[in-house]
Amino acid sequence: MEPAVSDDRIDWFYSFRSPYSYLSGPRGFELADDYRVDLRFRGVIPMMMRGESVPRSKRIHTIRDVKCEARRLGMPFGPSHDPLGEGATRCLAVSEYANDQGRSREFVLSASTGIWAEAVDLTTDEGLRLVSERAGLDWPGCLAAVRDPGIAERVEANTEELVEIGHWGVPVFVFRGEQFWGQDRIDDLRLVLDDAGLRNA
Amino acid sequence: MVPSLIMAISTFTLPARLAAAVRRATGRSGTVELFYAYDEPSSAYALLELASTVQGRRVTIELLPVVSRGIDGDSALERKRAYALVDGRRLARRIDRTMGRSEPVDPGRVAFLAAWTALGPQGPDLQDFAVAAIERLWFAGDGPIEREPFAVLWREMVGGEPPDESSPAAGEAVRANERRMKRSGPYETPAAKVGGRWDFAQDRPRQIGTWLDELGWSRR
Repeated sequence: MEPAVSDDRIDWFYSFRSPYSYLSGPRGFELADDYRVDLRFRGVIPMMMRGESVPRSKRIHTIRDVKCEARRLGMPFGPSHDPLGEGATRCLAVSEYANDQGRSREFVLSASTGIWAEAVDLTTDEGLRLVSERAGLDWPGCLAAVRDPGIAERVEANTEELVEIGHWGVPVFVFRGEQFWGQDRIDDLRLVLDDAGLRNA
Repeated sequence: MVPSLIMAISTFTLPARLAAAVRRATGRSGTVELFYAYDEPSSAYALLELASTVQGRRVTIELLPVVSRGIDGDSALERKRAYALVDGRRLARRIDRTMGRSEPVDPGRVAFLAAWTALGPQGPDLQDFAVAAIERLWFAGDGPIEREPFAVLWREMVGGEPPDESSPAAGEAVRANERRMKRSGPYETPAAKVGGRWDFAQDRPRQIGTWLDELGWSRR
């Protein structure tokens, strides 16, 4: 098996159900524009579907905090539609397919915006098709990915790897073995990438 | 509570701004309630950053040290403590400091600092002590944690002998902070509460400054 992390590569663990992952989206993909790194999107199964619980106080704070952060970042937030369960599973499958098609950025941003700013229901074919086609993906290919057990295994592997590296939340960026947890640590990651001399001229 | 309601409430800042205006009109200053823990590097960063944020504003920091905190039954507790060191190094870099420690600090080992601060008189002297103590703890080196160097800081900055950390009053003062933190909403530290809203102080330092500005507590 290929090592989890190698030089000049960033593994980006992301959950479609995490609003902080959503906030990290545009700036996460910009890393690949600004630095000579191989940015690997790694969609993971939501915490709640992995048997972890989130206290009510944390849920309330998260929504309030994300609303403020979204405003600061100039990103829309709300209305949302919780993709927990089938919605997240289908979205993760299509994200793997999008990766294969070289349209990871388009799909992740389209689907996340659908979930967190447009209340698109991704458990329905109509909803998933909308976010997939506007990302430039062909719908039959997306449907095939949703039904492909090999793709489901890839998502499982991403999730297991997040656990193996000892992390618990998302988004997490891993560069040369160092973990950067949170959308508010992207600037710190950029400093490290600058130090490594990886900024594009 | 449904997300849309929480989002709507979060944008409704008029009551907080009015309350701040009333405080100013009656000659009172603004307050940042800071729930923090001496055993975590993110609190060190938050306290230093916040002390700088309130400088030049008519705002004081109410120091509310805690020892026990966190989500009940948190399965990631130990991993979070280890990660806190990694993250702490990055936070230190933001304020041109270098993290001195390479191992997590046991909360019980520095509980005496929480007790002293919880019993101390709130004000600039106590804030100076808290800043100096947490700087010494996290940015000065990796040596053993002894009580006496901190007692010297207390004598210099607050005056007199530090309170007895083994007294029932000390334990009760820290527990009162922990209860207050739970009532206020934060489930982890460091957390800063201003104008009815709380934020993780290590994650939102600039936003706390902006919020103070919005409340009218701008730099003079």
